[in-house]
Amino acid sequence: MTGKHAEMSFGMLEETFYHCCQLLVQQSQQLRDSWSWVPLQGSQEGYLKKTQVRSVVIKLSPVWDQAASSSDPGSHGSGHSQFYPQKKSAHVAPCDADSVSSEMNDDDDDDDDGICTVSEDSIQVLQYEYHILYSCSYRNPVLYFRVFTLEGRSLSLEDVWRSVHPNFRLQLQNSPLNTISQQEHPLLGQPFFMLHPCRTEEFMRPVVQAAHEQHRPVNYVLTWLSVVGPLLGLDVPLKYHTQLQSAAGPSSTEPD
Amino acid sequence: MADDKDVLRDVWFGRIPTCFTLNQDEVTEREAEPYYLLLPRVSYLTLVTDKVKKHFLKVMKAEDVGEIWFEYEGTPLKWHYPIGVLFDLHAFNTVLPWSITVHFKNFPDQDLLHCSSNSVVEAHFMSSIKEADALKHKSQVINDMQKKDHKQLWMGLQNDKFDQFWAMNRKLMEYSTEEEGFRYIPFRIYQTMSDRPFIQKQFRPVSPEGKVHTLGILLKEMYPAAIPNEGEQKRYQAVIHGIEPLLETPLQWLSEHLSHPDNFLHICIIPVPTD
Repeated sequence: MTGKHAEMSFGMLEETFYHCCQLLVQQSQQLRDSWSWVPLQGSQEGYLKKTQVRSVVIKLSPVWDQAASSSDPGSHGSGHSQFYPQKKSAHVAPCDADSVSSEMNDDDDDDDDGICTVSEDSIQVLQYEYHILYSCSYRNPVLYFRVFTLEGRSLSLEDVWRSVHPNFRLQLQNSPLNTISQQEHPLLGQPFFMLHPCRTEEFMRPVVQAAHEQHRPVNYVLTWLSVVGPLLGLDVPLKYHTQLQSAAGPSSTEPD
Repeated sequence: MADDKDVLRDVWFGRIPTCFTLNQDEVTEREAEPYYLLLPRVSYLTLVTDKVKKHFLKVMKAEDVGEIWFEYEGTPLKWHYPIGVLFDLHAFNTVLPWSITVHFKNFPDQDLLHCSSNSVVEAHFMSSIKEADALKHKSQVINDMQKKDHKQLWMGLQNDKFDQFWAMNRKLMEYSTEEEGFRYIPFRIYQTMSDRPFIQKQFRPVSPEGKVHTLGILLKEMYPAAIPNEGEQKRYQAVIHGIEPLLETPLQWLSEHLSHPDNFLHICIIPVPTD
């Protein structure tokens, strides 16, 4: 039976994940947050989804030295933001001709205003789409997301890093590709960014243990989200937790 | 056992003769000749096509060149799947060489991951290995390895060095003698019939009652349509590395011998051709 016990302390069960998500959606409705559950047809599987528009400070200089780790000298687009392509058109190869020319015009306008040349950073309004899925490999929730400009253009990985708050960016940029990477959404098959889950177990274990010892109710997904969310501007209002405390009782979610 | 080692070699050195043609809409200065290459099944398209890229760049102006991507009969090819999986999934019952179209413009953002350099392939590859070990050993083996060991796995794949790769990968394939196999088998079942790209769940090599789980049992559980009912005609083929393994093959053996270097057993379900 010891094996069974060890098994149970590793991450969370899929069933528990769905239950936690259900509770989170209920709370979200009460708090007028916008999380919803998107079921996958014909199964109990699905994902939590939320979209929000945020204004974000974008760092304009290169966020990490990709050239140093790149073994492909012919790689395109690294080091330059899609928002403000460099003047040399050869460096904006990934954009199609139309978008390049229109951006170049915008860029010129900014130069006229004298903003772009003075400030190192710029403020952009972006639309974020967050998905929370269950990973059966890590037995933990995983955050997938994508980001669009208001014109509907999707952000590159480089630009996503530009929008991460400097406090996080400086800590994580040593291994950028191991923290946020572009991945296929396992249920939709489309490119998304993913916050890598391989350290989740590490930071969740003490939290869950402490809650256990103090007989506090804990919604695993909610607690996890309050740790990883802020990295991508996804704040979890404190009310979720205070509500959970006051509702403590037999219906509270036990981590497995 | 000697035979089993041969299986690992056969899998590693599997090749697909491929003909690359430039997309007709690309702007060129003169006509582009097709380019032929033997693609390693276990590698990734963007990792082994430097020569293809160079070949076509010779006839193009730099300003017409965007990020490279590949297409087969209208389907953008996902570079992050191993080459053998792409072939089995999309072109299994067709004639060789495999005919791939090369594009340098209109990158399909909605379908394909970007791949700006080999470090992106490396990150993807290592993240798959990590995920597989989370399933097999609760990440214990991969976490006990050093950074240089991880590098050895990657360099082995990148430089097509079988011995270098397997000297390290061996450790990822071990399990304690008390166990009857891995904790869970890292597998993915692909099909092209729905939007969902693949099925991946927890599945043990042995049942709680001690019954050995076979490929047939896995498929019956995950993709029942792949197994014909008695008296029915076979509708699907379950293909791994270009062959249809017997449904009686134990999953643990398949996982140890027919997994890709990313440590996943990739299984393609494809409709039986109707002629």
